[in-house]
Amino acid sequence: MKKFQLGEFEEIVLLTVGVLYDEAYGVAIKNEIENRLERKVSVGAMQSALRRMEKKGFLDSRLGEMNKKRGGKPKRYFTITAFGKQALEYSKDVRTDLWNSIPEIAFDLKLV
Amino acid sequence: MIKRWSDRFFKWFCHPDYYLDIMGDLEETYKDRLEFGEKRTQWKHLFSVLQLLRPSLMRPFFCKPLLISKGMLRNYFKIGVRSLARQRLYSTVNIVGLAIGLAAFLLINEYISFERSYDRHFSESELLYRLTTDQIREGVVGTRDAMSFNPSGPILADELPEITNYTTTFKFSELVFRQNNQVRYEKMVVAADSNYLELFDYPLLQGDPKTALNAPDGLVLTESKAKAYFGNADPIGKEIEILSNFNRPFKVTGVMKDVPENTHYKFEMLMSLTSIEDQLARDKWNGFNYYTYLKFDPNADYELLQSKLKGLLRKHEGSEISLEYNIQPVESIHLYSDFTFEPEIHGSHKAVSFLVIISIFVLVIAWVNYINLSTARAVDRAKEVGLRKVIGAHRKQLVGQFFTESLLINFFGALLAIAIAELTLPFFNNLIDKEITKHLWNDVGFLQAVFIFFLIGTFVSGFYPALVLSGFKPVAALRGKFRHSKKGVVLRKGLVVFQFVVSITLITGTLIVGNQVHFMQSKNHGFDMNHVIGFANPRVPGDQVTSLEEKLRLFHHDITSHYAVRSAGTSSVIPGGASNEIGSMSGGVTLVGIRDRLDATIYIQFINDQFNETMGLDLLGRDFNRDFAQDTLAIIVNEAFLELFGIADHSNVIGEYVQFGTSPENDKFKIIGVASNFNRTTLKNSIEPTCYFYDNWFNSTVPRIINSVVRLEEETYLEGIDFIEQSWQQFFKDAPLDIVFVDERFERLYKEDKRFGNVFGSFSLLAILVAILGLFGLSSFMATQRTKEVGVRRVLGASIGQIISLFYKDFLILIGISVAIGAPAVYFVMNGWLDNYAYRIDFPWWILVLAGLLISVFTLVTVGYQTSKVALLNPAKTLKYE
Repeated sequence: MKKFQLGEFEEIVLLTVGVLYDEAYGVAIKNEIENRLERKVSVGAMQSALRRMEKKGFLDSRLGEMNKKRGGKPKRYFTITAFGKQALEYSKDVRTDLWNSIPEIAFDLKLV
Repeated sequence: MIKRWSDRFFKWFCHPDYYLDIMGDLEETYKDRLEFGEKRTQWKHLFSVLQLLRPSLMRPFFCKPLLISKGMLRNYFKIGVRSLARQRLYSTVNIVGLAIGLAAFLLINEYISFERSYDRHFSESELLYRLTTDQIREGVVGTRDAMSFNPSGPILADELPEITNYTTTFKFSELVFRQNNQVRYEKMVVAADSNYLELFDYPLLQGDPKTALNAPDGLVLTESKAKAYFGNADPIGKEIEILSNFNRPFKVTGVMKDVPENTHYKFEMLMSLTSIEDQLARDKWNGFNYYTYLKFDPNADYELLQSKLKGLLRKHEGSEISLEYNIQPVESIHLYSDFTFEPEIHGSHKAVSFLVIISIFVLVIAWVNYINLSTARAVDRAKEVGLRKVIGAHRKQLVGQFFTESLLINFFGALLAIAIAELTLPFFNNLIDKEITKHLWNDVGFLQAVFIFFLIGTFVSGFYPALVLSGFKPVAALRGKFRHSKKGVVLRKGLVVFQFVVSITLITGTLIVGNQVHFMQSKNHGFDMNHVIGFANPRVPGDQVTSLEEKLRLFHHDITSHYAVRSAGTSSVIPGGASNEIGSMSGGVTLVGIRDRLDATIYIQFINDQFNETMGLDLLGRDFNRDFAQDTLAIIVNEAFLELFGIADHSNVIGEYVQFGTSPENDKFKIIGVASNFNRTTLKNSIEPTCYFYDNWFNSTVPRIINSVVRLEEETYLEGIDFIEQSWQQFFKDAPLDIVFVDERFERLYKEDKRFGNVFGSFSLLAILVAILGLFGLSSFMATQRTKEVGVRRVLGASIGQIISLFYKDFLILIGISVAIGAPAVYFVMNGWLDNYAYRIDFPWWILVLAGLLISVFTLVTVGYQTSKVALLNPAKTLKYE
């Protein structure tokens, strides 16, 4: 069993929540990912990833103020928990580890 | 608008915990996007909502914890099995009924899907059409013919770009093949051009489909024919001689798999069309004896093309012609086409729909049985339900439990149905006279169907009982004050009425079909067909016809000298053949000086001077006479021919002239006699307006003296046949003799109708059996429930007969209602069916009465048996606790 259940898309969402720090709510996260990664994000995929990670304990959330533009509906702000941070670090470590383990020659051969 | 609906939809499915903020997000995005145009934004909004439609964001739709508990499920099954085992009779009745119903339903559906599979196995079969010819009489479509003129294919393909390919074919009625001095008659030979194998892409086992039908005198054999002629040797390049029409050897250029059963155009050999070039040239626009198939462009509009085609024949043939082209999709020929000169006896979509209805009835009756029996038993289970509820069972749990029971019964029913279907398959194949498949138990499609209908059955039959049984009020149920609700009783009676109506309809239907078939077989066909035989005369090449005629006359003279042979004549057709056996003319016919040209199909038959006498037809005027040389231009017409012209006084036309075609230069034939009508073919068709030509009419291209018709003496006909065989040996040693009885030929014509009657009857019987089975169970429960009442009545002096009639009275009322409902339905459906026949029985009302009586008797037996069982109990025992 893996130590942390963190998929590729989930990782991106989680990192973006970190980037936005105190302003991470649905629309903002979506826009941020779309701008930074230049890829389309499906609302459904993103929302379900957010709720999933909240259930797993990577994210915490609070309801914000009502807003007229939003039809009187509140925003839900997400923040990364300590557990979420661990998961991100773990995932980063695994990658760094893998990078470091690649023999130089593997890249050299590719160039030939 | 779109936004409102998508918002509502979102609110409906979204988990309430997530709803607020996601909705807010959606709203915000929507407002941001508004600058791009409202319509587009609304669609985008809907798209976002659809993206959000995923399980992780949905609200819980089912009370999961209640239903999917393993222990509870096990308990349902345990209780279900126990309750089935406790009520053996009830369970057996249900399971057997469901099994019979399901098996019958699935078997019929196998047959139906087979009938519907005709001609669908060619690639792009939906683009294939058959070119047909309609005859227009005064603007009304008259005879519709499946055939067309042979130059039509290429000409139409030139004219209409929508036609991408075409093929012209000709079906021989019979050819004589000779190989190594062995003579064989082949009836399934089709001449076709090389396009044929492109349109109907039968793969060739040997030979090239592109070239096999190119050169003259080429033959493509089916596998079994190749085996019959050449055994295991390689047939390619080998020669077979064809005697009749050709008298020259043909070369085998290809071998193909046997033609499957489910195509309307069957053959055993294909001949290259170039082999009959001279016939094609001769027929050209004179006779349409060819089956032409067209392939359309996928984008072509069928109806537009049909209207385009209508006038084209007139364009090619001159405005005089009364014929029009028409087209029909090849896929629908088998079930829907009912033209003259079909290549084979076709199926009927009406018969198929009849069967669909019967099969559904059988199945529904079985389901109704279950519903009826389970609700009738409600009293038995009321206490159980009450107790469960008191202990704390949720209503949904009870529904689950009763569904489990219905699931179990349906499951056993489905298993038994597979066994029944598998075991009765040989009988079923026999019944429909076609082998659809050898085994069912390993047929994936069949098992899928079983599974699907098992599920549907579980739901349909389990739904109502589960609802009723789980709805009892626990207090009332436990106090024992439980009574059937009025609504429940009405429903049950309604369902019983439904079963009775179906049973009565099916009994009546079966009897009417049987009566009509019997009527057709026993009706006077216009001549005495008993002890009349027919056989094919020897075939000779064209130049030897005259010498054969001479020899035949001597042969007929010889056999009629025998005391058992009354008379013998020749004819182009033997009575009792299919509708396409006889020749016909559609070029118009004129009664010179009496009636103008009539564009009608006239049937032509060539006979000699003995035919009318042999058939025993009444003749007004005189018969042909060999001594009158001018009789080569004389004809005899039948009464139907004169009726076509609306001539009532038949003696007036004798001595008048008949002219065929449009040109005034055509031969004029003098009418020398009027023959009485007789039915040459099935009574489905009305009598054909026929002209009889004398068989030595010199310029006939149609074979004339093909057959002999002989009338034998009633007492000694067997000796007559012996003598004919002996005499045949002396006259025509090498030729095969194949004697058929004319009445047997007619019998064969009615085979299809008879088969329909048999299938109809068998499945009706099953439906009725299932219904009676249900009645058996139902009356048993009703009797047991009224045990105490029966006991009291007995004590007070009622006889068993009185008690039975008391119970029976209830059912009798229901039967009366059923007859009243069933009668119009039966009349509507069966009268329509009878209208297909030119000769039909009147709608037999007495059969309805008979059906009602039959049902009453069946009911009396079942109800009487169950009631008397209860009535015979000792009242002292049944009333012990009162």
